[in-house]
Amino acid sequence: MVGKHYRPPGKKKEGNAAKFVTRSQALKLLQISLPLFRKLCILKGVTPREPKKKFKGTHQTYYHVKDIAFLHHEPLLEVHRAIKTHERKIKKAEAKKNIERANRLRDQTPKPKIDRIIRQRYPRFVDALGELDDCLSMVHLFAALPASESKKIDVECVHKCRRLAHEWQAFISRTHKLRKAFVSVKGIYYQAAIEGQAITWLTPHSLQQVVSEEVDLPTMLNFLQLYEPLLGFVNFRLYHSINLKYPPLLDPRLEALAADLYALSRYVGRDTRRSAVNSESVDLVEHEQIEAKQSGAQSEDEKSELRLAQLHHQLPSNEHGPGALMHLVEEAAGDEEEEDQDTRECRKLFENMKFFLSREVPRESLLFVIPAFGGVVSWEGEGGPFGESDQSITHQVVDRDSQGHRFLSREYVQPQWIFDCVNARIILPTMDYVVGKIPPPHLSPFVDNEEEGAYVPDYAQTIKHLQAAARKEILPLPGVGKDLEDPQNLLAEGVIDRAEANEAAQRKQKMMMLEKQYHEDLKKELQHVTYTPSDSTVDKQVPTEVTKTGEESSYDVQNVDDMGKLLMSRKKRKLLEAMQISNDRKQAKHDLIKQRKKKLESAQS
Amino acid sequence: MTQKEKKTATKQNDEMVQNDDVGAPSPLDNDPFVSDSDDSSYEDSSAEDDGDYSFDSESELESHDGEDGASSGGDDDSSQDEDIANNEDNGKESSDINQDNTNDQDGGSESSDFHEGGRIESDSSEDEVAPRNTVGDVPLKWYEDEPHIGYDIKGKKIKRKEKQDKLGSFLANVDDSKNWRKVYDEYNDEEVELTKDEIKIVRRLLKNRAPHPDFDPYPDYVDWFKWDDAKHPLSNAPEPKRRFIPSKWEAKKVVKYVRAIRKGLITFDKPKEEDGPYLLWGDDSSSTEKSKHLAYIPAPKQKIPGHEESYNPPLEYIPTQEEINSYQLMYEEDRPKFIPKRFTSMRSIPAYENAMKECFERCLDLYLCPRVRRKRLNIDPESLKPKLPSRKELKPYPITCYIEYKGHEDVVTSISIEASGQWMASGSSDGTVRIWEVETGRCLRKWVVGEAVNCVAWNPLPGVHILAVSVGQDVLLLNTSLGDEEEQKRIKELLQVDQSIATDDSENKAISVSWLQDDKHAGIRLRHFKTVTSVEWHRKGDYFSTLSKKLTQKLPFKLHGLAVRSTFHPSHSIFFVCTKKSVRVYDLLKTKLIKKLDTGLREASSIAIHPGGDNVIVGSKEGKMCWFDMDLSSKPYKILKCHPKDINNVVFHRSYPLFASCSDDGTAYIFHGMVYSDLNQNPLIVPLEILRGHTSSNGREMALRAASMSRSFISSARASLRSSAPSHIPGIRPPPLASPRVQSRRFSIPSTRNLGQLGCTQSLLPLHSPMVLTCLTSHLDVSARACCELSNGTFRRSCQDR
Repeated sequence: MVGKHYRPPGKKKEGNAAKFVTRSQALKLLQISLPLFRKLCILKGVTPREPKKKFKGTHQTYYHVKDIAFLHHEPLLEVHRAIKTHERKIKKAEAKKNIERANRLRDQTPKPKIDRIIRQRYPRFVDALGELDDCLSMVHLFAALPASESKKIDVECVHKCRRLAHEWQAFISRTHKLRKAFVSVKGIYYQAAIEGQAITWLTPHSLQQVVSEEVDLPTMLNFLQLYEPLLGFVNFRLYHSINLKYPPLLDPRLEALAADLYALSRYVGRDTRRSAVNSESVDLVEHEQIEAKQSGAQSEDEKSELRLAQLHHQLPSNEHGPGALMHLVEEAAGDEEEEDQDTRECRKLFENMKFFLSREVPRESLLFVIPAFGGVVSWEGEGGPFGESDQSITHQVVDRDSQGHRFLSREYVQPQWIFDCVNARIILPTMDYVVGKIPPPHLSPFVDNEEEGAYVPDYAQTIKHLQAAARKEILPLPGVGKDLEDPQNLLAEGVIDRAEANEAAQRKQKMMMLEKQYHEDLKKELQHVTYTPSDSTVDKQVPTEVTKTGEESSYDVQNVDDMGKLLMSRKKRKLLEAMQISNDRKQAKHDLIKQRKKKLESAQS
Repeated sequence: MTQKEKKTATKQNDEMVQNDDVGAPSPLDNDPFVSDSDDSSYEDSSAEDDGDYSFDSESELESHDGEDGASSGGDDDSSQDEDIANNEDNGKESSDINQDNTNDQDGGSESSDFHEGGRIESDSSEDEVAPRNTVGDVPLKWYEDEPHIGYDIKGKKIKRKEKQDKLGSFLANVDDSKNWRKVYDEYNDEEVELTKDEIKIVRRLLKNRAPHPDFDPYPDYVDWFKWDDAKHPLSNAPEPKRRFIPSKWEAKKVVKYVRAIRKGLITFDKPKEEDGPYLLWGDDSSSTEKSKHLAYIPAPKQKIPGHEESYNPPLEYIPTQEEINSYQLMYEEDRPKFIPKRFTSMRSIPAYENAMKECFERCLDLYLCPRVRRKRLNIDPESLKPKLPSRKELKPYPITCYIEYKGHEDVVTSISIEASGQWMASGSSDGTVRIWEVETGRCLRKWVVGEAVNCVAWNPLPGVHILAVSVGQDVLLLNTSLGDEEEQKRIKELLQVDQSIATDDSENKAISVSWLQDDKHAGIRLRHFKTVTSVEWHRKGDYFSTLSKKLTQKLPFKLHGLAVRSTFHPSHSIFFVCTKKSVRVYDLLKTKLIKKLDTGLREASSIAIHPGGDNVIVGSKEGKMCWFDMDLSSKPYKILKCHPKDINNVVFHRSYPLFASCSDDGTAYIFHGMVYSDLNQNPLIVPLEILRGHTSSNGREMALRAASMSRSFISSARASLRSSAPSHIPGIRPPPLASPRVQSRRFSIPSTRNLGQLGCTQSLLPLHSPMVLTCLTSHLDVSARACCELSNGTFRRSCQDR
């Protein structure tokens, strides 16, 4: 007779052996195969545990008993069993050449539902946002992968990833939540701030990605199986928060031109406008939307280029040009009370600026970044809202050795300028970024320059000065107002020729430098004032002693150092030593860079 | 080749032979071949046959002679060609003639059978008539031993043909270009040359095809039945009625299905609907829904890139070629994962080849790595250090070496300061005891005691200038002849030994200590049985204790372990004995154990009592020092690990809140040790200064530990002298409370002396300790070099400057 609390023989009552099971034990318990177990672990977020005592040896992987019980009660387990039997049926039907049945069965294959798991893993929306980094990076990566049947990367999967990524970017761009962007060798890092969560993700460069052999794709696909719906739900919630329908209806023509992002952002802009702006524009927009829908349907049928082109011409005319769009978007944004200082700052960075992207420029990232900071953008090629010859364009982004035909009314900059501006949050002078010149170093916005002992590159200092100067511009110094006139405006007027503009820019730079110096002097003076009294009093009182204390202090420092150690407990002492070692290592890294810098300087001079 | 094939081949051969009558080569001359590949094997077998034949023929011929006539010549095959038959008919006569001839010859000369046979054969070949063997389908093995191979159609024996020898046949083969298409017909014993057609047939057979090239195995099917233009159907039955009326059963079935569908028993596959995202999270900002799952630890975020990962990093971030090369020499794990690269424009950035791999590795980390919440100490290392008061506020304390006392020629083992602080005694292992003036460093007096001095101790009473010196097995009580005449008188009185009483004592019990008058040094010599390692005075100067191996007197309490040091309480009649592991505190009045202090050290070496009496420090040979607050606990209040080597001595300052330790490593640490009167406040310990006086040139250990100890002691004494100049004497001595007499009685010490006399008459002498303090001496064996330096007899004194 089995008792109430029956414990099978060999089962431990307490201790690590009762709390943990090895992976193979878990497999036996769950009666599933290892790949399925892995998949469940990935979906449910079950990770191995580190028991204090590894009772079955150190080479084993241990899971908590409760984790395994958690998996054991998972409905997904049942679904996967059903899938398994279903696959057997399909196989049988195929063997009997009953293709119809096989297809029908294939359609009926039960699908695991992830939404419940997502809700379980992330009970609050903020939790989901907090762990969105990996999800976004992965979805962006898959959006750039080549679909291949042999590697089981479906076309559908890639397209879905692409769509999700663009939806996400459209939201960020629309709500001006983007904070930082960094072009690295690995790809482009973006950082956005949503509901107080800093979300950083990496998008690969828009080039052909190689699916290497050493990667186990099934594992990644398992992750993607979780991440895809997760991002879908997150996007839904985000779109919901700004009163937009999800999934968005896209302009199929733009989609066909692989400018989904632009199509999306236009959709986003349009719909919010509708929600925010008065009825007058509503009917306009509705009409436009209906038309868009119709045309979308038609284009699906016919795919006629003509119709699409017609549509394309219709849409911008309805929008009364990008300026109007900007205006309306702004109005809508003005309603949002919760908009914080940071967002406002971001929104106004590229205000009243019109960008045009050349052919060779990475379009996708710039189409994302520029609108996120309040700029208006078009590109060379079909589908752009305005052409290259538009007179109101203020900046043209080019990435080539030399630019043939130049419009005098606009600045020609390299794409790095935009990223640097975004990270510095000011409009940097464009001189260093002109066409054909090697741009100044592109610095990571994620590095904390204030950190003690850290090496700060020269350009970071320059940017810091420029930022300080930009902040001061609100209160311009008397007498410099005229000189500080923006050379860009002068250019726009076309009054002075290029050389003069350059000169003006240089003059401005010089002035700014002077101004900065002046500010610094002021600052120094201020600090000095606070310092001097104490100094002077000390000096007056015992001038000889000051020098003595100086001597002594150096002596003291080294002596006190080990004196203090004497009284510490051994644990603390060891901790201190470890900290010192790690600090030294960090310092060594900075020192190496400084040393290199010195060498470079000596080589130059 | 199968038997049948051979047969057909033979037939063909016959035909051929008969077709070209004239000029046909003799079949005997050539070995037939079907195909090139068969050449050698066939040749071999035929050659063997030849050999067999030649052997057998002679012996066997005779036996067959008689039967020749009787044997019926059976025809070869019923299916023999007519041509052949004709041919046979044609050539019958000649063959018959031949046969006759042979028979005749056989009968005539048996001996020359062989040769004749050969001749006959050649004849028969000329005749073109091949003997048709009629034996039928029997194994040819049966005829192996016979001279004939069978019988012809007439029943006559067919003789075996003579074979050419191998060489001949080979030569013939070489010459013959048609050799390859010749086949040996074993059955008829002849060689057959295959024609081209025959070879073709053979080849076709080998390929498993029909032998005849014109044969078509898959001919088109010809439907001989005429289907169209038929006037009548095959079946003449009329069309049934059921073809024209709707099926009742079908209708029933349909109705059944319809009803089932209406009832919902039959469902159809619905068109698949994509279950898109929905609003999963409502307004849940306030909800604190807890998952029933174990505590979920979110994965740590990935490292955020620094400047070095930029596509266009500052130049100084790019490692030089040498540095990159040096990475190859590093271990795989230490190598930097990412080497910065620089591209001058964004268009030149290539695709990152490891993008996929890194993403995958992140995935692996996410689901394969155990997640543990580690407390990350994000604190300033400085904050770990205890907050100590500024050292400036804790002045005065000794800082530098102020004076050196030179004169000793060997290691100074012990020093002691006189109660007034004016004089200092030092004992050295060169066998001398000196008295110095502290202020000036002048050597006042010197005794040569002969043996190495272990310990010196001044009597703590200010008026009694007596020095106790432990020398080898003796303890000397020396009159230092300091002080005024009256005092000198008293001292001399004290230092008189009453011999008679001493002998009385010896009668009572075994003499462990003998009191002797030492005339040479004008003092008393107490002779012990074993080496005396330390001498310690009672606070009143009436008693002193010595440590030696042998007990001098019965102790009222038991000692556990090895006594290392002993000392008296500065104000009460309490006695501390420091053993290797613990300190035992005894009340001398009640003669019982008060407390046991557990040091937790491996081997204690020294002990000192705070002038207040409630705090004890114990130094150990591991270089650790324990501070005990006796009111607090029996465990150390603080353990200080400061010396890398043995601590030789620890000492408290008599008036200032200072204490010091000195060690074999040639350093002495000065600490501030403030004891508050408020019991709630723990003592404050602040390390103040490290004094490094004694260092040998090559950094070898100095044996002057005692000296260094006392140096700090001196310095503290000095400090007290200076700062508290008006209060003439350092050291706080409470007024004597307990009467010494009572004490002595309690100890049941035969107090033969007056109280006024120096308490040294009796001693609370050597505590029983099996292991004497060899440590002291063991550390005195200095290397030659150290000795050399020490031979100056230097020991220093440090003094505070401010």
